Amino acid sequence: MAKTPDEGRLELLQGTLDMLILRTLQWGPRHGHGIGQAIRIQSEDLLKVETGSLYPALHRLVKRGWLKAEWGVSEANQRAKYYRLTAAGKEQLLREKNRWSQLVHAIGRIMNPAPLDKE
Amino acid sequence: MRPDERELDDEIRGHLAISVKERIERGEDPEAARLAALRELGYIPAVRESMRRVWYSRAFDAAAALGRDVRFALRSLRRAKGLALTVVVTLALGIGANAAIFSVVRGVLLRPLVNRDEDRLLYIRQASTRDAADNMTFSIPEYKDLKARVTTIAAFGDFSTVDFTLVGLGSEPRIIKAGVVGGSFFDVMGLRPALGRLLNANDDGPKAAGAAVLTYRFWTTALNSDPTVIGRAIRLGPSPATVVGVLEPSVPYPADTEIIANVVTSPHHLGVVMVEDRRHRMTEIFGRLAPGRSIDDARAELTAAHAAIVQAHPEAYQPGAKVQLTVKKLRDQIAAPARTILIFLLAAAALVFVIACSNVANLILARSVRRETELAVRAALGASRGALRRTLLAESLVLCGAGAVLGVVYSRPFVYLVARYAARFSVRALDVTVDSTVVWVGAALAIVAAILLAYVPRLPSSHAAGGLGLAGSGRITASTNRRLRMFATAQIAFSFVLLAGAAMLLATLVSMQTAATGFDVRKVLVFDVPPAATGVAGQRALDFYQQAITRIGQLPGVEGVAIGSFVPWRDSDGVFGGSGMPFTVDGYTPASGEAPPRARFRLVTPGFFNVLGVPIVAGRDFTADDRKGDELVAIVSQAVAQRLFPNADAVNRHLVWLEPLFNKMTLRIVGVAADVDDENVGPGSPMTVYQPVRQLGYGSRLFVRVAADPYPLVPAITRTIRGISPDQAVERAATLEDVRTEVLAPERLNAFVFSGFAGMALLIAVVGVAGVLAFSVSARTREFGVRLAVGSSPRQLLGRVLSEGVVIAAIGIATGAVGGYALARAASRFFERVELPGALPVVGAAAVLVGAAVIASLMPAARASRVDVLQALRSE
Repeated sequence: MAKTPDEGRLELLQGTLDMLILRTLQWGPRHGHGIGQAIRIQSEDLLKVETGSLYPALHRLVKRGWLKAEWGVSEANQRAKYYRLTAAGKEQLLREKNRWSQLVHAIGRIMNPAPLDKE
Repeated sequence: MRPDERELDDEIRGHLAISVKERIERGEDPEAARLAALRELGYIPAVRESMRRVWYSRAFDAAAALGRDVRFALRSLRRAKGLALTVVVTLALGIGANAAIFSVVRGVLLRPLVNRDEDRLLYIRQASTRDAADNMTFSIPEYKDLKARVTTIAAFGDFSTVDFTLVGLGSEPRIIKAGVVGGSFFDVMGLRPALGRLLNANDDGPKAAGAAVLTYRFWTTALNSDPTVIGRAIRLGPSPATVVGVLEPSVPYPADTEIIANVVTSPHHLGVVMVEDRRHRMTEIFGRLAPGRSIDDARAELTAAHAAIVQAHPEAYQPGAKVQLTVKKLRDQIAAPARTILIFLLAAAALVFVIACSNVANLILARSVRRETELAVRAALGASRGALRRTLLAESLVLCGAGAVLGVVYSRPFVYLVARYAARFSVRALDVTVDSTVVWVGAALAIVAAILLAYVPRLPSSHAAGGLGLAGSGRITASTNRRLRMFATAQIAFSFVLLAGAAMLLATLVSMQTAATGFDVRKVLVFDVPPAATGVAGQRALDFYQQAITRIGQLPGVEGVAIGSFVPWRDSDGVFGGSGMPFTVDGYTPASGEAPPRARFRLVTPGFFNVLGVPIVAGRDFTADDRKGDELVAIVSQAVAQRLFPNADAVNRHLVWLEPLFNKMTLRIVGVAADVDDENVGPGSPMTVYQPVRQLGYGSRLFVRVAADPYPLVPAITRTIRGISPDQAVERAATLEDVRTEVLAPERLNAFVFSGFAGMALLIAVVGVAGVLAFSVSARTREFGVRLAVGSSPRQLLGRVLSEGVVIAAIGIATGAVGGYALARAASRFFERVELPGALPVVGAAAVLVGAAVIASLMPAARASRVDVLQALRSE
């Protein structure tokens, strides 16, 4: 396999894909391909979601009630399944966002410890 | 919400289309764009599978696959209806028998009693280790001593059985078996009332008012659950009593009584003998373990206390007899008599199951040989071994499932049958019901059978796929043939064990039923005419019976009337045990250390021997002149005369009872009667001493010798007795012949049940042998064709196949005989009274099996001899 185009890519952290999908859908429904593209573009090509992970994740989120799937027609006049955030999905996104910032904060404290001072 | 399979495809297709379109819009070459999009997507089936897996679990897929296999199995079995039916019926027999018997075993041996904290409830009994009369209960002084000496038992309850004539419930006075209990009994037993109250400490003692509790069974069956019975005044023998309550349904132990009353209702219980005589034993003792103490603690303490009591009162025990205490959980005590028989039944049922399985295995194996072509084709087309195995498993599941359903359905009545049977050994069997146990056992057995059966057929092995099966159709291989024969042999072997066992039981039964008893069993009617109801005693009772003898003797058709104390076989000699009382005669000195001889003690009126058809071989019968106050006389059985007066005439010699209660009573022998055994059915020569009713107490059994048909005389006899005393109970009228039949019922049931199993096994084995030979013949059509072509006669072929059947039977019988012998030897180590069958039953069973094998071989043999040479040679 040619690995040139993949160089410099980052591996997705375990458990973050769901959050990214929810976040991507915050501004309106998209189809699966669109979601994958959005993640790639917004991460400036640093993240690339495998189709084999993206689609099971979408189905999982539908099953948990955070997304709703509907058939629609794409801008290219192609029949495609569109995913939309549900109310429960929005709440979940908020929860994941908080958790994420806590995580980032916590890991940051460990990786870049503040100089030992009074408190 | 769950997407169907097509939706998944559509979604992937949409994704690809969009991806390609975007690339083209970005200016890529359409063909390159398509390839790039495909590459980016990855392996499409894997992507699709991972999406699908979100919605459909593996278990769901497995179930769906099994469903497909089951539908396939049903379709292919529809083409083999005969086989399917045989297999299902055979399995149903095996599974049903096991499920039914296991239900009863569980109900009788394993289920807890309804009593509160039943595993702390003990049953205490003393037994003499040396004496056959090992069924000793306790006397009241012994009970009191024991109670005073132990602390591991929180409370004791006592129970004794009495026959009362009950007046006031139902239209006629009737004799009932009643329990007489102390005030602590129900509390110790941990039972509750279903209605009213039970007896308590206030009902104890001689000053309480008479009170009685009805058992649930009596209340529901005899009184139609009448709630107004509470508070009713009744009479128990001479004593008045009030019905205070109904006991909850519970195991009636130690006796299946109808009424349980307090001590005051039984004058006997208040009497000096009962209260003070240390040897007057009729009380059964129950105990409840004190908190924190174990049964072993209690056993140790009770045994020590008992030993001390025995030592303190040596006069109360037979000299030389070693009396020991046994302490058991009540549940175990109740189940004990049924344990052996139930374990044997379970073993028989398990044998039937093994036979059924091996037979079914045979049929399946034969079928799978015919299916080898099909399996080989499927393997060649890519079916994995697992998939093939699954097909076979589905098929055997269908068969076994159907067998289990049928088996469970037919086990319902079977449970009741077996429970009625087992009730003869343990009262607990009376309330065995069909519950889910049957279903669980049935299902478990079906699954075991299904898995075994699925692994019986060989699969076409992958590397030999071309060679095996695809080429030839249904050619039998040596190893398959060996397996078939092995199964058939095993069936014969197991059937032989069952058949020989059943034949042994039948032989015993027949010999008991036909043995000469020494009585004129057909001409003698017996009645129980207990004296209690009218309160007659002493001289009045004697007069009453004398009057009855005279008046009944005047009825037309009556040839003789007598009173006795003991109905042969039906009565049991409670007080003096089975082995009788010790005695001696003048001029007899026992060798040192030898125990004195013992004899049964019977009271009879003049004419008794005549009525029963027992000849007087020397001396005279009793006469009306042998009265109270005159010299005491006795008639002895021939066994006594021969043993104690071997060279002399017994008449006019003297006999002395050594039983302490009899106070060295001395009797002059006036006659010798022929030997009869009135306790065991069959010929025997027990030592028996008869004394005249008029000289000693009373007898309450009426014997009437009739000229012709006995039963039409019963109403006239009953009327005659009621004419003398209107409240007199007259019960259990039967000819001696029917008494014997009734007494032999357990033996008959044993023989019946085991014959049933053996018959089942035989049937299955016949089907098995016939199946093996039929299959072997049809697979060897070509061989037979060749044989006929080179000059064998059809008769030779017939003989050949027949002899194959006989060889299978012979090997099976030999294996069964060896195995059965080993089994009996092994069993005799765990159970008493395991008998090896005599030669006749064994030979009979073997003959039946060989005969069955010949019959089973006849049809296939006839087919072999009719093979058409040309067709056979052309058939491949």
